[in-house]
Amino acid sequence: MIIQRLSQSWMGLLWTVCIPVCFFALAANAQQASSDSSQTDSMRIVQMDPVIVTATRSEKILEDVAVPTSIITVDVMEREGALRLGDVLANQMGIALFDDHGTGMQVQGFASDYTLVLLDGEPMIGRTAGTLDVDRISVKGLSHLEIVRGPSSSLYGSEALAGVVNLVTAPPAESMQGAASFRIGSHATSDMMLQMEGGLKRTGLRLVLNRYASGGYDLTPATYGPTTPSFADWTVDLRSRFVISDRIRVRLGARGALENQESVFASGTNEFLEERYDDEGRRLEWSIHPEIELQLSSKFRLNTTLYGTGYQTETYHRRQNDGALNYEDKFDQTLVKAEMQLDMLWGAKHMTNLGGGVIGEQIGGSRYGATRGDSGPESTQSYLFAQHEWYPSGLLHFNTSIRFDHHSDYTGRVTPKFAVLIRPSDKIRLRASVGSGFKAPAFRQLYLSFTNPAGGYSVFGSLPMLAGIRRLEAEGQIEQKFFDLSKMDPLRAESSIAFNLGGSIEPFKWLHVQANVFHNNVRDLIETQPVAQKTNGAFVYGYFNLARIYTRGIELETKIQSHLTSNALVDITLGYQFLQARDREVVSALKEGTVFGRYSNGRDYRLRLGDYTGMFGRSPHSASLRAAYTNTTAGVIASIHGRWRSRYGYRDLDGNNLANRSDEFVPDYAVLGVAVTKTFSLVRAVEAAVQIGLDNAFDHTYPTLVPSLPGRRGYVSVQFNF
Amino acid sequence: MINIKETVSNYRNIRFMMMAFIIFVAACDSADPDPDPIPLETQVAEDVPADPASGRDPTTGRAISNNLFTLYDLDANQVVLSSSVTDPAQRQSDSTGTVWDLGFKSTTIIFNGGSSGPGEASAQILRQSFDEVVEAPAAGYISDGENADCPQVQTPIGPRPGSTLAICTGSDNGWYNYDSNAGLISPIPGRTIVMKTATGNYASLRILSYYRGNPNPPDTNAPSRYYTFEFIIQTDGSRDLRNTVSMK
Repeated sequence: MIIQRLSQSWMGLLWTVCIPVCFFALAANAQQASSDSSQTDSMRIVQMDPVIVTATRSEKILEDVAVPTSIITVDVMEREGALRLGDVLANQMGIALFDDHGTGMQVQGFASDYTLVLLDGEPMIGRTAGTLDVDRISVKGLSHLEIVRGPSSSLYGSEALAGVVNLVTAPPAESMQGAASFRIGSHATSDMMLQMEGGLKRTGLRLVLNRYASGGYDLTPATYGPTTPSFADWTVDLRSRFVISDRIRVRLGARGALENQESVFASGTNEFLEERYDDEGRRLEWSIHPEIELQLSSKFRLNTTLYGTGYQTETYHRRQNDGALNYEDKFDQTLVKAEMQLDMLWGAKHMTNLGGGVIGEQIGGSRYGATRGDSGPESTQSYLFAQHEWYPSGLLHFNTSIRFDHHSDYTGRVTPKFAVLIRPSDKIRLRASVGSGFKAPAFRQLYLSFTNPAGGYSVFGSLPMLAGIRRLEAEGQIEQKFFDLSKMDPLRAESSIAFNLGGSIEPFKWLHVQANVFHNNVRDLIETQPVAQKTNGAFVYGYFNLARIYTRGIELETKIQSHLTSNALVDITLGYQFLQARDREVVSALKEGTVFGRYSNGRDYRLRLGDYTGMFGRSPHSASLRAAYTNTTAGVIASIHGRWRSRYGYRDLDGNNLANRSDEFVPDYAVLGVAVTKTFSLVRAVEAAVQIGLDNAFDHTYPTLVPSLPGRRGYVSVQFNF
Repeated sequence: MINIKETVSNYRNIRFMMMAFIIFVAACDSADPDPDPIPLETQVAEDVPADPASGRDPTTGRAISNNLFTLYDLDANQVVLSSSVTDPAQRQSDSTGTVWDLGFKSTTIIFNGGSSGPGEASAQILRQSFDEVVEAPAAGYISDGENADCPQVQTPIGPRPGSTLAICTGSDNGWYNYDSNAGLISPIPGRTIVMKTATGNYASLRILSYYRGNPNPPDTNAPSRYYTFEFIIQTDGSRDLRNTVSMK
């Protein structure tokens, strides 16, 4: 078992590295007890312009970025008691979480597939049915999150169609310090974190060790098996920096995460036919990220990045009465990437970034038939990008970027973007951008080769399709082909053209209002279509570029930050999003008047465009709240945070593929959390923070509709910073 | 501002029109030699089996069935030949006549005419609700085996041809939608089948459920391939689907 072996070696690595470092850090701390502890002081009130890197692949002040961008700092994550990425994103304006093979995030109305998630600028992989589960990612050790809404494919390529979320770690400190925390809460949930950090001017190292575990919970006691299974999740994160000379800086990052999950379930709803199973799952992910920065001259900088990441899952279902292995599924994905980026500063008014790279990807697993040789499918990709920024005056800032992607298994793409920032005064900024985004065909759409043993149907990705059909034909399994498959065009990437128009205003020092209007026009969305019928009556399905959708809406964010007294601060962020996500085919059918609904009493009624509630899983209205009160003298931070979303469709019962009846919607709901943190000094240079919190205070649950929403949960945590 | 003059004149107009209408109706009544029209009744057929599962394959566990049609007579509102009847002689004798009007097997519906039977039955599907169809269209009926217009699915390599049956097969092409996530077959609302029966009468029909007992909301736990449908049949030979003059 590769995973077991790897997990053992991970644990070995962990203990061999962690224990000496731990002692080192403690010893160093004892020696330098007088060292400045203010760096770990979470009580500080610092208001400075945050710097972000995601929007332009170079350091920029948040307010001076021409595209809609948000930042969430570690202070906000800590005061809200956030442990996982999902906890942080849940209360963020413009982001909705949605359950589909894990908890995925929606940005500007797009499913999780369309948002790129980066760790220090490099892509995180491992998606199930397109969803990157935001609850699997620990936020321990992060300095902040950067969220860019709207397409960024002109800089990042595939998946950055709806937006980019970048998890940024802080550079290791220039002193010795550490932190340890322990938290316990409802559903036997626990979280332990140990962070050790040591550094000098020229080198620095930080190691974060995190264990997150839960006993799971069961919202449907009538059915056998929990709603969410019990699990234990380990994350190790290592970041280091080395200044070789004034001109050469090296960074090395690495992360490993391992999860073991155990559950039970029953198949069949009839008590007499019920068969009970044990469900066991394992997940391993790792990444390694060395980076060299060469300051060629005062105006030229060259960054070379190597990146490797892997994601593996295993699932086993064993029948309880005889232990027989009933189902087994494995998935294995590896990505290696090499990239160079040259930053050029041409005086005060022009800046250019040129870059290029290669990506190799390999997948293996039960559902992916080999396309070349015996190993799983492999693909290679190369790309070039360029960005030019021009500041003709203090009033104007133009940003133009373009990227070319060439891929071995689908048609290449050119994606441009143009953005402008206008600054009529220090307090007003206007932003406009038009850009293209794309998403490469997913693995299943390219490589899947799968026949359902129970249903008898087959699904082929675009590459194994022809061979798969020929094999079935040779076996006499094909009754009828619907068209000449040899004339199939290769699958194209899904692509969009997006417009974002907005701005921000700061009428008073304590008030900041930001608004953005977006429109995303998407074509070539990939869907399945039957391509042949088998002799058993079942179909063979393939993937085709078919659907066209648009998403449009308004994003609003208001920030109020004010000192009540010299030692008390209120910090309130209110967010609102209006969203329409619509399928163009449905829109034209509604305009034609050929779409009907059926009341539960059986009467049919014609639906109009105004009755269209949009694609499933999208709330037309959503709001978010982050409010905190900080008292520096008392060392207290109180936070109230939450979100509300209007009802959204999730299923169709009356045969029109739309949500129109009340029993086809998840009702609107609000989730509110509170947390209070008290900080005090234990002994010199050791600071303790105690936090008490309550998540989902209103105790809203929808057991079958929103399984990721547990009821009210309390927790207590203690953290030591030394 | 209200124009009093105009309002008064409107009242006068309405009064005049009402009078005219009453006179007109009375005149028609006295001039019409035909018997009083009788409203047609909407009839319901419940749980018509359409080749439901008859067992399970012992090795694969998949449902198996007889792969046979159930044939239905609208005039008598009853099954002529069930899919559970497997005797070849009986199937032969019951399926060759013009007693049956339409047949059901899984999601496929056939009509007694064209390639499906010896009768004159033909059909078309209208994008109107059942209540809206007060009169059968004069034209547009297609016999099984002669349909060249089944909705074509646009794919990058051209359209996918449909079946040649009068009511196209496949999800979203004919009378139903298939939700692959829920595994649910649901009749598309606002689709009305208008047909000529095996003996040439007009009828309208809509499917209410594909699951036994017509569960509401539809429930995939109920056994599938049981049609519940409602229909109106006109026996006086006219295309009127509201009233009849025939004394049945």
